[in-house]
Amino acid sequence: MIALNTSRRLAAVAALALAVTACGGSDEPAGGGDGNVTLRVSVWNLAKTPEFTALFEAFQQANPTIKIQPVDILADDYPEKVTTMLAGGDTTDVITMKNVIDYSRYSSRGQLLDITDAVKSTDTSKLAGLDAFDVQGKYFAMPYRQDFWLLYYNKKAFEAAGVTMPDKLTWDEYAKLAQQLTREEGGKKVYGAYHHTWRSVVQAVAAAQSGGDQLGGDYSFFNDQYALALGLQKSGAVLDFGTAKAQKSDYRTQFETGAAAMMPMGTWYISGILEARKKGATDVEWGLAPMPQRPGGTEVTTFGSPTAFAVNAKAEHADAARKFVQFAASQAGAEAITKVGVVPALQTPEITKAYFAAEGMPSDELSKKAFEPDKVVLEMPVSEKASDIDTILNEEHELVMVGEKSAADGIASMNERVKNEALD
Amino acid sequence: MADVMTQPARPAPKAPPRRTRAWRDILVGWSFILPNFLGFALFTLIPMLAAFALAFLDWDSYSTPEWVGLKNFQRMLGDENFHVALGNTLYYAAGHIPLTLVAALGLALVLDRKLRGMAFFRTAAFFPYVTSLVAVAIVWNMLFNPTAGPVNQVLGALGVDAPPRWVASTDWAMPAVIVTSVWRDMGYYMVLYLAGLQTIPKEYYEAATVDGAGAWQRFWSITLPSLRPTTFFVLVMLTIQSFKVLDLIVVMTEGGPGRSTKVLAQLVYEQGIREGRFGYSSAIALVLFLIVLTATLIQFRLNERRNG
Repeated sequence: MIALNTSRRLAAVAALALAVTACGGSDEPAGGGDGNVTLRVSVWNLAKTPEFTALFEAFQQANPTIKIQPVDILADDYPEKVTTMLAGGDTTDVITMKNVIDYSRYSSRGQLLDITDAVKSTDTSKLAGLDAFDVQGKYFAMPYRQDFWLLYYNKKAFEAAGVTMPDKLTWDEYAKLAQQLTREEGGKKVYGAYHHTWRSVVQAVAAAQSGGDQLGGDYSFFNDQYALALGLQKSGAVLDFGTAKAQKSDYRTQFETGAAAMMPMGTWYISGILEARKKGATDVEWGLAPMPQRPGGTEVTTFGSPTAFAVNAKAEHADAARKFVQFAASQAGAEAITKVGVVPALQTPEITKAYFAAEGMPSDELSKKAFEPDKVVLEMPVSEKASDIDTILNEEHELVMVGEKSAADGIASMNERVKNEALD
Repeated sequence: MADVMTQPARPAPKAPPRRTRAWRDILVGWSFILPNFLGFALFTLIPMLAAFALAFLDWDSYSTPEWVGLKNFQRMLGDENFHVALGNTLYYAAGHIPLTLVAALGLALVLDRKLRGMAFFRTAAFFPYVTSLVAVAIVWNMLFNPTAGPVNQVLGALGVDAPPRWVASTDWAMPAVIVTSVWRDMGYYMVLYLAGLQTIPKEYYEAATVDGAGAWQRFWSITLPSLRPTTFFVLVMLTIQSFKVLDLIVVMTEGGPGRSTKVLAQLVYEQGIREGRFGYSSAIALVLFLIVLTATLIQFRLNERRNG
């Protein structure tokens, strides 16, 4: 500071810069020196998303010189908030990639640090979902959890209806089962199933199981799945879409109060049920089954999406951030989140075993089988057009599900609009 | 500040010239509005001007902005989403402005008497306006629930066989939003009308009554013309508010079903914040601004002509 013989202000700035680079540069404490780093990580709903805390604690234990400071953001606003933060030059070190669509946008804008070397230096053979982050051979994020969709069911409702959950279901069998499970109970209707209002419930299933491309501009492969969803709705075996949307229906409530006996949903909800049961908010006896399949298929195919950590291109502590991203994808990181019921991206038999050993997990064989699908297709492929196409597919999905358009008309306008508005 | 004040005084040091005093008055005036103006400039004026400039650029919030001239506006012409949103915004305004105006005036007339408990009813009418908008939207959504909602249950009890499906229907979603917004806003404009009613001299009514004017004639020939300044103000405010609508729609319908309630402000948000097309988004915002500006100017012109 003395060496810088200029104005005071410049010296102060320089000192600050020195301090910052010193922090970023040395991850090891330099012999009793104060080399502590505070790493800021963007997260959503910290209090209700226990995996973050679990991961942070494990990381801090392994790296005592690095302290993690979560940047908590409301889950619903997360993509918009992060977009704004990055646009404003925010220096939060680690940015959590809540979905792959946002990832493709941030990475194509150059807002994330290239961490290909970190990915290449790790054994990624068992890291599920990594492909989703491959941008022409480069990686800007590393997945730490991999959620996929399966079928949740209420064991008591099955008992009451005198049916059992078979090992394997086709969609037709699923529909029949849903009808059997639908009944009045003490003046209250119990639906055979609950289909949430997201378009993925129909469209991503169809894409994954029929091999259709959601970015392709030809959506005739949605046909069968719409026929099923609309049929169930018409027969009253599921809550109708318009009502669910109008009352901003919460899928957790639907399942936990026993209002619906079956529910296709992502694995992220497992930790939610575990926590609700622990708190005594629900006493639902739940089990897992593989996603129903198209007739003739032998494999269990479902869809899912990974969640990843990325390093901000403007990160204050890029080295420490990189270290955290690698840790989260490692065995130690996977073990930490497994304990709170979150499905890690790193998939080994030991981790699956540890996962089902957690308190409150169902112990039947079918649930364990459901946990090992043969193929997990990415919920929405990555592309620059993905976000526009997503908007169009969502709007048309709503129109079909509320009955404003027939499935055929809806699919026709999806084809037309995606070609005209997004792919031109 | 001192420099500015003394400088003009230098050539004629003896008599404090008028210019000095004028300067001082200006500075005092400025210093009074400065705190407010600073905030306005920093958070409204400068961002607004920046948005105008952005409308002619292609910018994704990260890379270097690129000058594209009128391309963003050209794109708007061919963008079906823009056409839909513009149509919906006009639809909303066409419903929201007259209905709120009539409801507010009606309420004000009913509540403009000296009766016991009138304060309670006035407060009750004003209450929706100070209630959290999210709560309002969610509760009305429940009322409009197509299967289990009270609105449709009442309609069913009245013998309507196939009641509208409200927010689950492309035809009825916008009316549902308009009803909610009228209910929410009428209390505020009622207060403005109540204030306007107080300014009408009682003698007018007395004279009219003596001349044998009925209640309707008194309203038509005295109340309504005397309220013209208030009505003008209410109309301008309502127009601006209607074209800017966003929050209520986002909470109630998210622009759906499909695109049936998507409005311009929402498109601005989607294209800008979600899709990162800040240039295009600013261009839409600029068009929205011009629409509101034109509508307001026309209203001012009409008002002047009537006054003149």
